[in-house]
Amino acid sequence: MVDATLKAIEADPAEALASRRYFLGRLGVYSFLSLFAFIYLLPLFVVVANSFRPLPEIIQNGLIGIPHSFSFGAWGQAWSSYCVSGTCEGMHRNFFNSLEMTIPATIISTMLGLMNGYILSKWRFPGSDLIFTCMTFGVFIPGQLSLLPWAFILGHVGLANTIGGLVLIHCVQGTSFTTLFCRNYYVGIPDDLIKAARIDGAGFWRIFFKIILPLSPPILIVSVIWQFTGIWNDYLFGVVFSSGRGQPITASLIGMASGGVNVRVYDVMSAAVLIGAIPPLLIYFFGGKYFVRGLTQGAIK
Amino acid sequence: MAMRKFFATLTSAVSLGLLASAALAEPKTNMLHQWDSGSDAAAIAKLGEMFTAAGGKWEQTSIAGHTANTLAKLRSDVVAGNAPPAVQLKGPEIAEWNATGMTADLDPLAKEEGWEKVVAPELLPVMKPTGNWVAAPMNIHRINWLWGSTKAMAKAGIKDLPKTWAEFNADCDKLVAVKVICEAHFSQDWSDATVFEVVVYGQNLDLFRKAFVEGDTAAMRSPEMVKAFEQFRLMVSKYMDPAIAGRDYNTTTEMLAKGDAAFFIMGDWQIGILTAAGLKQGTDYVCQQAPTDWGKPGFILNSDSVVFFKQKDPDYVAGQKLLAHLILSPQFQTVFNQAKGSIPARLDVDLSTGFNPCQQLSKKDLQASIAGGTLVRSMAHNMTVLQKYRGAMMEVITQFVNTPSMSPKDAANAMADAVEAQKS
Amino acid sequence: MTQATGLAEAAAGPTLRERLARAVPIIVLAPSLLASFVYVFVFAIWTFYISLSNSSLLPSYGFVGFGHYATLWRNTRWKIAYSNLFLYSALYVTLAILVGLGLAIAIDQRVRGEAIWRTIFLYPLAVSFAVTGTVWAWLYSPNAGIEFLVRSLGWTDFTFRLTTDRNLAIYAIVATGIWQSSGFAMALFLAGLRSVDPDLVKAAQIDGAGPFRTYRKVIIPTIAPIFVAVAVVLLQFAIKTFDLVAALTQGGPGISTQFPANYVYDLMFQRGQIAEGAAGAMMMLAALAVVMVPYGLWLVWRRRRESGHG
Repeated sequence: MVDATLKAIEADPAEALASRRYFLGRLGVYSFLSLFAFIYLLPLFVVVANSFRPLPEIIQNGLIGIPHSFSFGAWGQAWSSYCVSGTCEGMHRNFFNSLEMTIPATIISTMLGLMNGYILSKWRFPGSDLIFTCMTFGVFIPGQLSLLPWAFILGHVGLANTIGGLVLIHCVQGTSFTTLFCRNYYVGIPDDLIKAARIDGAGFWRIFFKIILPLSPPILIVSVIWQFTGIWNDYLFGVVFSSGRGQPITASLIGMASGGVNVRVYDVMSAAVLIGAIPPLLIYFFGGKYFVRGLTQGAIK
Repeated sequence: MAMRKFFATLTSAVSLGLLASAALAEPKTNMLHQWDSGSDAAAIAKLGEMFTAAGGKWEQTSIAGHTANTLAKLRSDVVAGNAPPAVQLKGPEIAEWNATGMTADLDPLAKEEGWEKVVAPELLPVMKPTGNWVAAPMNIHRINWLWGSTKAMAKAGIKDLPKTWAEFNADCDKLVAVKVICEAHFSQDWSDATVFEVVVYGQNLDLFRKAFVEGDTAAMRSPEMVKAFEQFRLMVSKYMDPAIAGRDYNTTTEMLAKGDAAFFIMGDWQIGILTAAGLKQGTDYVCQQAPTDWGKPGFILNSDSVVFFKQKDPDYVAGQKLLAHLILSPQFQTVFNQAKGSIPARLDVDLSTGFNPCQQLSKKDLQASIAGGTLVRSMAHNMTVLQKYRGAMMEVITQFVNTPSMSPKDAANAMADAVEAQKS
Repeated sequence: MTQATGLAEAAAGPTLRERLARAVPIIVLAPSLLASFVYVFVFAIWTFYISLSNSSLLPSYGFVGFGHYATLWRNTRWKIAYSNLFLYSALYVTLAILVGLGLAIAIDQRVRGEAIWRTIFLYPLAVSFAVTGTVWAWLYSPNAGIEFLVRSLGWTDFTFRLTTDRNLAIYAIVATGIWQSSGFAMALFLAGLRSVDPDLVKAAQIDGAGPFRTYRKVIIPTIAPIFVAVAVVLLQFAIKTFDLVAALTQGGPGISTQFPANYVYDLMFQRGQIAEGAAGAMMMLAALAVVMVPYGLWLVWRRRRESGHG
């Protein structure tokens, strides 16, 4: 857009001035982006570097530095041998716990969101708008409010202290988000499409599978990415509703980081942080483009 | 003699047999605690080893981070109907949980093993809040220790640790003159409160008892308390360095190791940390009771203990008996406290082998303090007033440390106000 | 079906099959609805009741009244926490939007390697707030982080002490929060900028508007709904702030960076003052209502306006 404007200016007799302005403009844009990119990448660099620096070097030379010598021990320790929470097994079990918790909860809450969004946008009935607004409130409930009630519920359904309990919590809480996203997205599908299908005799499920679902990939991806990241990165519920080897990885690695009286093992912590961050990072890396596309196609309205 | 030994063996065999066949159950337990890493975790591991060796099935749930996380887990487990068989609890919380009626009664075991006679008397009201035994004490920590880095002290020519606050200030002035940080410190609510309660205790025993043990707000507003805050302000502004707010515990220990700072006021778990850092008592660090202005041996006490919650599963019930028995056993008390740096809760354990000289001094001072009537429990480490008052006080103390413009008089009044606000 | 038959059927009223078919959506919705209802309303009402009760260590149901709210508001730490919430929310939401918008506009200038830039600014979203707080605490540390680095490079008087200064620590939290979330704003704004009708832009250019004028008068108003959407999402992050503070400053130095969520957690779990904690949680909801109720009304107004045009 700016290019077009600038080209119009270039046609002017003061061409030298214009092209210099153009050059300065480009310089400005790239410097702005680079400065911010530096700030954004700094923590990532620090964590990656520290996972390869031997601990004495980190303590000596500070937390920000280029590795003078490479040591790979921290990764092995973080994965399988570091002692935390009473066992010396590293984080690998916590990593798998997180997978066990996040994948089912993401799938279930996404599916529920799709269906709820479909119903609340295409099968209007009296009160459906009110119901939608009420369901959306769930997005704003702070975790602290729900800790004790959840403890009561989990205890009485026998899911206390299990990954299953965490899956239940995240499904219920996540469905608020996914319903919000999906419903706002489906509102953009023309009602006439649905009406035509109904006239042709299609029922609830037919319309869902033949019309709605094929149009859903963008919002599906948004929901999956959002939920996966949110559930994987949860700290509070992981800490309160599971413990030790049963914990998801985010809760256990923050536990490791708040060492208390003991020496901070920055190298192992950095490796652990990276191990914990890799799944969501990969998802954003590969799905980022679709995430943006899906959001714009109407998830947020 | 042989007869007595025979009966002793028979009795212990029978009681072990009774223990084991208590429900023909296999003792098992799941202990909830916050010692999840380092020397603390190693110490608890020893308990696990003893439990397994005695035929029990050992499980533990260790919660990292602040005590709040362990208490959160406890609360959510209790609300879920799943109270843990054994949990690390201390101080007034023992009484609070006892009041819910959910705690198991240890009186039969206590009578059988004669705990009354061997446990330090100051601990008894804490472990028996309504007259019967509810908690098994694991150790006795001393809070009012002063640690000195020999390297740093040498820089100012100081040979002995100061005994009174006046000497402390004088020594600090000497150290500041040669550009050594006098007092190593890291500012968190509990560490700020630790130093402050040591100051109050050292200046005025009565004030400590009234304000920190009884929670008397008039004592908190008194001129004596203002004087304590004045000494504290002097220490924070002149004798500590400015970076206390961001520092963490292990960096502080390094300051001592490197000789950058001379003194450190901290509880006796510091022994474990100094040993782990490779420092030797006598050559690298020296220990002495923190300065007191009233010249006698003094002791601020803190104790870790285990509380048992009533269980339906007979295996857990048997496990509780076994665990309590082991915790009070001389073997565990020895092995655990050697690792932790504290001293046994049982007064009849011999400390002459395997214990650090500072620990031996701790025991000597404990007994002298009991005899001299100077023994108190720690407010900063949650042994006296309810958490809500303690929390309120600690907030003011840490605010005082981090707000140079807060005057001692304002701090004293703020502390009293904060506690009063919780009383309504 | 012929039109006549269809009309006849319609006139005859709904058949059983139709009634069942109409019920299917509600049946499918029901479980989520029930779960949401419990999660949103039952939990909130239970918490409200507890805030009026004599609960301390464990929930108990003796009615006591609003005394806990009074105690809460007399507490300095709570007052600081509540004001921090408003300060943080205002700065975090506004600045994250501005930074996101700025980055989006910059990337939109046909820069090369757009995918790379976009990934760089978007990746912080993938990281947990707790991890962000932990790593940034390392960077902010005067003894080992940025200040240490710059000093070791020669500028021995350089100070960068946000988290250890009780007046500045809150801004460290704001800055870190912006680092985490502005990528989200950027992503949405970028997509929005791309969806602006090029004819509108051309029309503005023909009228002689320069780049700044074009943005201000044409493009930004077109993407106005995105501002609202981003603000809502960021706001719910802000109100729930807990992990970031717990990891970055633990509420310190002193009590200067306390936040309601952290204090409520402490009250409920460490201090055994569940009733007062519940009161704090209700106050957090109240803070939320201050923003959400106008937003809800705006949504309803907009929908009515749309259906009016419809």
